[in-house]
Amino acid sequence: MIDFSVYETQVPHISGFKCLNCGTIYYPAPMLCKKCDKKRDPTTGKGWEEFDLEGPCKLLTWTRVWNLPEGFNKKFLMFGMVEFPNGLRASGRIELEGDPVMGMALTASVIEADERPGKPVKVFIFS
Amino acid sequence: MAPRVGIVGIGHCRFGNSSDYDLVDVIAYSANDALQDAGGLELRKQVDQVFVGNMAAGMFNHVTSAASALVSRMDMEPVPAELIENGPASGASAIRMGYMAIASGMADVVLVAAGEVMRSVSGWEATNIVATMSHTEAEYNMGLTLPGFAGMFTRLYMEKYGMTERDLALVAVKDHANGALNKYSHVQIPVTIDAIADGESANVVNNYVAEPLRMYSTCPISDGSAAVILVNMDSPKAKLFRKKAIRIAGMGAATDTHCVHNRKDPLVLDAVRLSSQMAYKMAGIGPADISFAELHDAFVIFELLNSEEVGFFERGKSFIGVRNHETEIGGRIPINTSGGLKAKGHPVGATGVSQVVELVRQLRGEAEEGRQVKDPKYGMAVNFGGFGNNVITTILAKD
Repeated sequence: MIDFSVYETQVPHISGFKCLNCGTIYYPAPMLCKKCDKKRDPTTGKGWEEFDLEGPCKLLTWTRVWNLPEGFNKKFLMFGMVEFPNGLRASGRIELEGDPVMGMALTASVIEADERPGKPVKVFIFS
Repeated sequence: MAPRVGIVGIGHCRFGNSSDYDLVDVIAYSANDALQDAGGLELRKQVDQVFVGNMAAGMFNHVTSAASALVSRMDMEPVPAELIENGPASGASAIRMGYMAIASGMADVVLVAAGEVMRSVSGWEATNIVATMSHTEAEYNMGLTLPGFAGMFTRLYMEKYGMTERDLALVAVKDHANGALNKYSHVQIPVTIDAIADGESANVVNNYVAEPLRMYSTCPISDGSAAVILVNMDSPKAKLFRKKAIRIAGMGAATDTHCVHNRKDPLVLDAVRLSSQMAYKMAGIGPADISFAELHDAFVIFELLNSEEVGFFERGKSFIGVRNHETEIGGRIPINTSGGLKAKGHPVGATGVSQVVELVRQLRGEAEEGRQVKDPKYGMAVNFGGFGNNVITTILAKD
């Protein structure tokens, strides 16, 4: 029987982190909990829970950038800052027809992108 | 009691395109200029410590260990020399290290020289290199750049306080008017509000960079250097220098979250407010005592926000002050008399020292005709590292 689960691991994710000692959540990953001082060991992850950070979110602000940096060959890209229902915030790219509106509901997903020099990276898409 | 620390020599090259020159030569040019201003090149033998400010020579120029190279280039061996890197606040951090070296008693004379040659690479590459100061996973990897953050930041401010794009243009017009009179400015051409905001061609002349920020809301990519000589004003060595010292009355430094989205209110620049409060406390003065200020304006929104955080204006009111001409030379609190980063230019590692050179020129009464502040007593400089997450405030006094 063929094990297709290997393909599931290739779906890109961006993680939020929860301190299991006090319940405080973070994005991106901290090295210690600012509320209870619990240390996070990135090799074992012991005492911390990782969870996927995606789904519904609210747009806080946005811009359309016309002078993109090295690696990008597009005329422009839109970027935004969003807040998730759990209170975590994130920055990423916006893909919408027309101009976004501050406060609008969006959905965050994650892709793998390789425009910039170096290895492919995980990128938020807010749409 | 810590000794009094003063500035007895200043040096500066014209900012612009120095990409045909070696970075270390560019820095040495201003260092020599500062020694000559202080009394002569032979004074380099009196220097106890050299600090060099630079952000990214490894990436822009394939140069590392620039401090070691500088002392050798200037025949200053065996003086101790170190490179200080704090993003675009590298220059102010180098001055702060110089102050601490003298205050600690480890040195009486310190040469602080800072420089950056960014135009050795394309604007496309330079934008990417500068963006490496942002959070790798959560910001840089997304494709975000400093102009991108400034655009989002500006939109939030406009939405909250009712500022318009024309208000941003008014700041640029004021900065370019000052910069046009400054012999060190990258851009020495004034602009009119008609050309960049009101006229029919304004959208073409002043195109969007990161909406709602336009080209005239953004500093140019510049090369250049600046240098200062710090001295223990209470040591016998102070008498060797020709110029009367301009005293460092206060310095403050503070940091904020690396990720912009992790700040409680992204519009509040805690590090600017805290560093300025430290500097005011050390100097024993308040915002009303400041005669003029150089505020880090890589994007004109920063000039406005900084002027609120340091206490010159209430939150959300700085652009009203610009409309009322309060920040022009001759106004209540002249800001960016040099032209600021907007017109003078922003060779990232050099900017903090360049701001302090401008404070000294104004306090000595040596600024060009038309942009000299009348009888200034205290000057303030705010230098940003990162997107407001590592800030140095310096207050100089004319005693």
